Amino acid sequence: MVQYSYFPGCNLKTNAKGFEETAIAVSKKLESELVEMPNWNCCGTVHTMTSDNIMKRIAPIRVLSRSRKHIEDLEESPNQVVTLCSMCNSTLKIVNKEVSDNEDTLVKINYQLEEDEETYEKDMEVKHFLEVLRDSVGYGEISKKVVKPLKGLKVSPYYGCMLLHPEEAKIDDEEMPDVLESLVESLGAELIMSPLFKYCCGSYHIVDQEDIVSSQVTKIVEAATKRGANSLVVACPLCAYNIDQQQKAISKVSSSFRPIPVFYFTQLMAIAMGEPIKINHFNDHFINPEPLLKDLGLTGRKKT
Amino acid sequence: MSKTKTKEENALPTVKIYIMGSAHEVPASLTIMKAMEYAGFKIKRGAGCRAGFCGACGTVYRKAGDYRIYAALACQTQVEDGMVLTQLPFIPAPKGKYDVDKLSPTASSILKFYPEVARCLSCNACSKVCPQEIQVMDYVQYSLQGQIDKAAEESFDCVQCGLCAIRCPAEIPQYHVGMLARRLHGKYNMSTPETLLERVEDIEQGVFEEGFKELMSLSKTDLKKRYTERDFVDQKKAG
Repeated sequence: MVQYSYFPGCNLKTNAKGFEETAIAVSKKLESELVEMPNWNCCGTVHTMTSDNIMKRIAPIRVLSRSRKHIEDLEESPNQVVTLCSMCNSTLKIVNKEVSDNEDTLVKINYQLEEDEETYEKDMEVKHFLEVLRDSVGYGEISKKVVKPLKGLKVSPYYGCMLLHPEEAKIDDEEMPDVLESLVESLGAELIMSPLFKYCCGSYHIVDQEDIVSSQVTKIVEAATKRGANSLVVACPLCAYNIDQQQKAISKVSSSFRPIPVFYFTQLMAIAMGEPIKINHFNDHFINPEPLLKDLGLTGRKKT
Repeated sequence: MSKTKTKEENALPTVKIYIMGSAHEVPASLTIMKAMEYAGFKIKRGAGCRAGFCGACGTVYRKAGDYRIYAALACQTQVEDGMVLTQLPFIPAPKGKYDVDKLSPTASSILKFYPEVARCLSCNACSKVCPQEIQVMDYVQYSLQGQIDKAAEESFDCVQCGLCAIRCPAEIPQYHVGMLARRLHGKYNMSTPETLLERVEDIEQGVFEEGFKELMSLSKTDLKKRYTERDFVDQKKAG
């Protein structure tokens, strides 16, 4: 059993509980357990991207340093901190790269951390769980654990922006990614390719300009359904929220719009691996995936 | 029999401290609060229980030859030679007005009344200043993450002195955030202790009324006697 120091980020404890619980469950099944860091702070998110404000990098560097301490308590743990949220993944990777390339910046940040005995030595790598699945676990191992192939599920992968941009944070090729595609196929689902796989979901405009998000989501969903998809698979809690929640709003004003459920990749894995349905927290979803899963015989004890 | 001490030997060791810029010679064994009073200051605000529980006497000071600004409870901290002192009468901080019955134990309840929490830089200045040695930043982060149970537990020893709030670059009133977290935790996450319910029921049914009446009727002498001879007996079991 390999254990990974897992950094949740705020969404995984609030809007995306199903993402976290399914990820932990499948990680155990794959003998690559995600173990939550005991005391973690905010990754820093978008504030951190301002290039001239070192103070805002204290948060991500503290995460790396605490994770470094955490791995001492774990079994066979590599020097890696694993994230599920693509925003956290991006922030931590960018800052890690920045201090690795720029000793002065790290020295300044470490001045603020030394009294807490939490200085950082540039000895951690940031990994998204998808990278662990692809590079350390392997799709073959994932397939072996599938007890309920996702037959009839026509899934369109949607990456959003953070997994593929910018250069220092991307987990796959920005034009032709295949990590979600290969994963979905290894679970026995049918892959539906959509040209809008990284078309912006509207991101933080959800806060004050919902119409922008609504228009983006309409295009993303229609591009997938037009090609035969009956569901989307995502990795980002913000994309998931925007697409899921807006579809419900769009359905209310447009009778021709057909909403489809949005899954986190770990939810699909958990279903295929026969984990209990309740860990998905489908009651947090705006478009309930359960009717579709029921139709396909993917819920309940027996296969149809 | 020990030899009688000379007047000089008998004198208390003293230290020189600076209160708001002027020098005072005070006994070295005093706390900051007592030293200020020894020097003639009368503290009206910024003092309370004098036992480290009420949090009213948060203070800031510097030490000779040290670049740092220190903070502590004035009633709990001994003076040192060369200390530069003042006393904070009051720490202003915004306090949310809420009805705890109408909230939920979530991050959004915290953010509704204290949106500054989202500005936390994780600098940990709050934890460093805390006289109770609470990991203040960690509980602020737990609140932001919606882990209200952990926030309540970590902040449990808070005495509401407010020193964290004066060091925070994000201007978060941490101690009020912790109070809200504990209220939410107590209200929504914890079960009511059975023993408490039983005791309330006992009181309502008048189980203790006879006993109290009897005590009230005793003279001071008899009451003292009863107190010194008291034994802890479960009245119900004893019949």
